[in-house]
Amino acid sequence: MSTFIISNLWFYVLALSLIFFAFKVVTSANPIHSALHLVLTMMGVAGLFFHLNAQFIAGVQVIVYAGAVMVLFVMVLMLFDLKHEFNAFAKGLVSGFLKLMSVALVVGYLVGVFLESGESKGVKASLTTSGDQTSTQLQVTRDLAQLLYTKYVLVFEVLGVLLLVVAIGAVAISRIQGGTHAKH
Amino acid sequence: MGSDIFEFSINGLKIIIIFMMMVQIVPLLVWVERRGSAYIQNRFGPNRVGPLGLTQLLADAVKFLTKEEFVPQGSYKFFFYLAPVVALIPAALAFGAIPLSIPIQVEAFTMMGRNWGPYTFPFQSFELGLGVVFVLGASSLAAYALLLAGYGSNNKYSLFGALRASAQTISYELSMGLSIVGVLLVYNTFNFTEMVAQQSGPLAFKFLGNDLLISWLPNWGIFYQPLGAILLFAAFFAETNRLPFDLPEAEGELVAGYHTEYGGFKMNMFYIGEYGHMLVASALMTTFFFGGYTLYPWLTPESLNQALSSFSPTQASLITAFSLHLVFLVKVLFFLWIFIHVRWTLPRFRYDQLMDLGWKTMLPWSLVNAIVTAVIIVLMRSHWS
Repeated sequence: MSTFIISNLWFYVLALSLIFFAFKVVTSANPIHSALHLVLTMMGVAGLFFHLNAQFIAGVQVIVYAGAVMVLFVMVLMLFDLKHEFNAFAKGLVSGFLKLMSVALVVGYLVGVFLESGESKGVKASLTTSGDQTSTQLQVTRDLAQLLYTKYVLVFEVLGVLLLVVAIGAVAISRIQGGTHAKH
Repeated sequence: MGSDIFEFSINGLKIIIIFMMMVQIVPLLVWVERRGSAYIQNRFGPNRVGPLGLTQLLADAVKFLTKEEFVPQGSYKFFFYLAPVVALIPAALAFGAIPLSIPIQVEAFTMMGRNWGPYTFPFQSFELGLGVVFVLGASSLAAYALLLAGYGSNNKYSLFGALRASAQTISYELSMGLSIVGVLLVYNTFNFTEMVAQQSGPLAFKFLGNDLLISWLPNWGIFYQPLGAILLFAAFFAETNRLPFDLPEAEGELVAGYHTEYGGFKMNMFYIGEYGHMLVASALMTTFFFGGYTLYPWLTPESLNQALSSFSPTQASLITAFSLHLVFLVKVLFFLWIFIHVRWTLPRFRYDQLMDLGWKTMLPWSLVNAIVTAVIIVLMRSHWS
């Protein structure tokens, strides 16, 4: 019973801090603060996955999003002179309206979750089974890989091609716009 | 954590001791680094304070602790203080998940008028099913310490160092992950303990449906993944920001890179982080490719169990675990010495050479390594009858 309470407490601490970090991502005027809060949000999501005994997805979440994508974001943000953006986001009617709208969306989402939370008992039952043994975790990872390469193989490959298109597009745009690798 | 007070307290103590191990190896490594560099450059090195200059470390620690505490004007104070703390966390988390020896089995015993049930203590801070994924995830967060330090100092040299560090980390993380894919394919598991268990016997594998056994060689990963081992070790040099990849703190160009503005114990914490990463890298190399805490044919769990049959099971388990831990430490120290030796042997790369090496050389080779490993494993494990 005590482990159940600790587990629930852990979930609520994680969930509340996640909401707080996500809120700060939207409302911070300084883009670097936003990006760093987004890093904390990613780590919180990884913590939630870990809490749900999905160790592999938690690890991949940290490696890919917190460890690679967000490092790139923060690095690019630090390269720019952001005084203009800081002033644009710190005041002004449009950005204030956008912030208010996103806060309203978050609140609406929260209310929706509370109203609908009675209907997810099936998911709850499957998640409470303990699975922190090595063999279980390996089996979960294996099942995930098999689903990814059989049932969802088309979606998976299309996503890969999409990312390739985005990468090539970014290179093309940077060459047109000039810079050190400009096409003469 | 544990079912009763005994297991709980031992596990808590274990976490503290393993963290202290990581922190306490730093002064020793600094000493080895300074004496080693002096040896390589035909100098004496620190040899005045104590025997062989060993207590120089204590003097250094006192100096670090008593230096004046300051924050540069115009810096972002929160980030400035946060960065050294963040530098410690990834290495400490990653080192805690690596098994340093086989688990200790404690039989049931009576103490203070109570029966204490049989316990199994894994020789690591915490055991995870998917240890490799966790260690990779934890150590991928190391770039944030450098980024926060560079940004928080509000100094152009620091920022350049931080930007170089993050670009370098992202570039080399790819080839690091891909060379680990080959290892995962060979062992067919994400768990460190299972990997080491597979390496404790003689070299044995299936080749075209025949079982081959070479009894005078250990079953180490290096014989299956030689290219992966070289690529991974090179990528670890880049991840730990050691020479020849120490562009983030290139003192010829950037004063001291990301920790230009840091002094005293705050700078020392960056050093602890860096040496902690070296320790994690060496432990990973040992576990993946060099048999972990086993040394076939002399020191394996089976041979030690046979030799210690006259002791009680708990004593035998304790002796086995600690002697295997010594084996592990010797291997790790060997790799740490290579780290130090390389630093004082090779010059620094130029930045475009660094990027070319990462993206145009190591990434293709590690991709090829992963694909070829997968194909060979399918060919070797299929039935050829």
